[in-house]
Amino acid sequence: MESGKLGKREYMSIAILMIGAKATDSNPALLYSKVQNAAWMVPLLSAVIFFVGLFLLLKTMDLFQGKNLFSVIQQLLGRYIGFFLCLVIFLISSFGISFDSRTYTNIIRSFYFTTTPNLIIYAVLMVLGAYGAKKGIQNIGSVGYLVVFYVVLSLFFALIISTQDSTLQAIFPIWGPGKLEILKQSSLKITLYAEFFLLTMLIPNMTSIKEFRKSTWYAFAFVSFQISIAILIFICMFDTSLKGIGYPFHTSIGFLSLGLYLPNVEILFFVLWILAIFVRFAAFIYLNALMFGHLFKINDHKFLIPALTTIYLLIGSIPENAIEVSLVFKQAITNISGPTFFVISLLLWFVALVKGEFKHAKNRNGM
Amino acid sequence: MQKTETVCKWLMLIIMVCLLSGCWDREELEDKAYVIGLGIDSSKHKGNIKVTMLLANPEVGSVQGGGGSTEKPREIITFEANDFIAAKATANAIISRNISYELLKIIVVSEKYARDKEFITTIYDALKDKEIRLNSYLAVSREKASEYFIKNRPRMETRPHKYYQFMIEHGIQNGFIPDSTLLRFFRTMERGTDLFLAMYTTAVREKNPEYKKEDEYTAGQLNATGDLQDTQFMGSAVFRNGKMINKLTGEETRNVNILDDTTNIKDILLNFPNPFPGSEKQMSARMFKSGNNKVKMKLKGARPKIIIIIPLQLEIMSNPSMADFKVKKNQKILKERIKEDIRTLNEDLFKKTQTELKGVPYPLSVSARKYFGTIQEYKKFNWAKSYLKADIHVIPEIEIIDFGKQTKKPLKMGD
Repeated sequence: MESGKLGKREYMSIAILMIGAKATDSNPALLYSKVQNAAWMVPLLSAVIFFVGLFLLLKTMDLFQGKNLFSVIQQLLGRYIGFFLCLVIFLISSFGISFDSRTYTNIIRSFYFTTTPNLIIYAVLMVLGAYGAKKGIQNIGSVGYLVVFYVVLSLFFALIISTQDSTLQAIFPIWGPGKLEILKQSSLKITLYAEFFLLTMLIPNMTSIKEFRKSTWYAFAFVSFQISIAILIFICMFDTSLKGIGYPFHTSIGFLSLGLYLPNVEILFFVLWILAIFVRFAAFIYLNALMFGHLFKINDHKFLIPALTTIYLLIGSIPENAIEVSLVFKQAITNISGPTFFVISLLLWFVALVKGEFKHAKNRNGM
Repeated sequence: MQKTETVCKWLMLIIMVCLLSGCWDREELEDKAYVIGLGIDSSKHKGNIKVTMLLANPEVGSVQGGGGSTEKPREIITFEANDFIAAKATANAIISRNISYELLKIIVVSEKYARDKEFITTIYDALKDKEIRLNSYLAVSREKASEYFIKNRPRMETRPHKYYQFMIEHGIQNGFIPDSTLLRFFRTMERGTDLFLAMYTTAVREKNPEYKKEDEYTAGQLNATGDLQDTQFMGSAVFRNGKMINKLTGEETRNVNILDDTTNIKDILLNFPNPFPGSEKQMSARMFKSGNNKVKMKLKGARPKIIIIIPLQLEIMSNPSMADFKVKKNQKILKERIKEDIRTLNEDLFKKTQTELKGVPYPLSVSARKYFGTIQEYKKFNWAKSYLKADIHVIPEIEIIDFGKQTKKPLKMGD
């Protein structure tokens, strides 16, 4: 690995941990409440939809070898519109991380540390995230690569033992509330993959965009299957009671036992899960600092991290309880961010097309 | 400079060690009282319940105990409470340690309270409590739950958590009690299409119970004598919409467990009528399922038709008539007899569920779902109603894999 550059494996680990973690939070229950037993199709379908946007975005980015998302936006759309758009992306992602981190705090508090005050758990989580982010993306990547196998293995291990208490027939009636409803929800829920859009900020950290693209597709395919399979198994396990269970992953690992003599083993899974969450938020905070630094031309963005983290912590502390987080704040941000990022991707490609950038590139290559 | 850095690093590590223990959720094993069994009874005061807690003493039975401990293995307290969650605090007026439901194994509800409509609101608190796992079992006791825990004094397995674990585990494997975890309870409640079976238990043996064939008992009816305790786990309590409506015997429960692919029964030892002349005795066999049931349904039309094929394998364990199984005809007679026996047993059970219980006691409705494209169509079909008039056929697919040792008739003296 070239010094200062992010390797393929490391980048993929970050992507898998960041997006794959969504199978373990409130997303499965949220999807179930919308499309019932067809919820497992939604991650696959929205992956197909988001693929179009991401494909066009990467195609556009290809023209600007080694530039990151914000530079490309500003170069294509001009200083003012570009700046505005970047600001919007930054704000959405900031609110996203705030409420996301709060959701994970809620999970930790309600399942594992029931008497610790919320703020303390939240602060510890964010401080660890900030510490990781400050170490830089290479270090986050290395840690990610170290833990990703164990995390994914433990997730699948938990899912496999969960199948003992499930019935596959619970996925029927196959179309759930109807095909149209599934399609509608799939297009709304492309937020599941919104982080891939933000990860394009990391292109300059990779050796080439080609490498970036390839790893993105691998991670993308893997993650969409992972989320889909996880939801499928939760549906088979909990059936219709899934809608009343906020965080099915954590409920199910509390249920599992490894044979007669090893009941109550959730702590094994919890440790690996929380490692994944640290990587996830370290990467997330790093990305946001990167964006902020780029927006306001601050070169040493690492110094921004503590301040930004504190702000996120404060924003995340606004909602009073878990219900408010998931129903009001997170709902709003998930409904906005995915579609917005999708539209921006299409817009960039369209502008590049109109401006004739693709032709220029061809000519340049032809010479 | 180097020195300061090293010192700082070490200091950092030491501070981190302090963080590890945490401050709020620090838990000392010494400081905890683990509730293994929770009893719920109705109370004279409106809106209240009577909560019984069975607390295990972790010191008893552990190897490290040093053998010097003369403390009792368990402690039982009963008191009035609004619900069993806030009751944890109330219990501390009596119990010195911090009450925890983390190792809760079994929730026992008295039959009287299970038949009360208040029961469902009480039991739903189990979902709210973070410490209660969904793999705890739900059981119904014939007497008051508070009496049940007091009378239930196992002779051999004095540690209550092990007693319940083994008792339930083996009961389920034999098929006499249903696998009634809270997960299954809430799943059935939310599905709203089938009945739920909870294990039926009692610590009081009926006086002079009437004689029945081997497995047609419910708890308390098995007339066992000797130096034993009277607790029995047998049969099941039927819940409809979260209210107990009826009971099933051990044999019926076992049938349901065979029909239900989601429970984990092992091989079953059973008796069936002897088709060969020469002996009044029944034959016994070991039976196990060789695969999942095949369920075929025709749901269009006025009367839905359901065909259930149960693949079973048998090992013949006894042969009172000394029939010769080398003869193909005898094999066939036996097979037909078993097939007929199982078929009538199951069809009678289904008839009972349709007329008496008014619902199916295991998630059969889940197999019906695949015949519908969308949830709307399925809801319109209305399983709970359609089931009652369904035409159900059970086809056992019998494979006799072992006829046992071929015994010859003992020779009579003088022959």
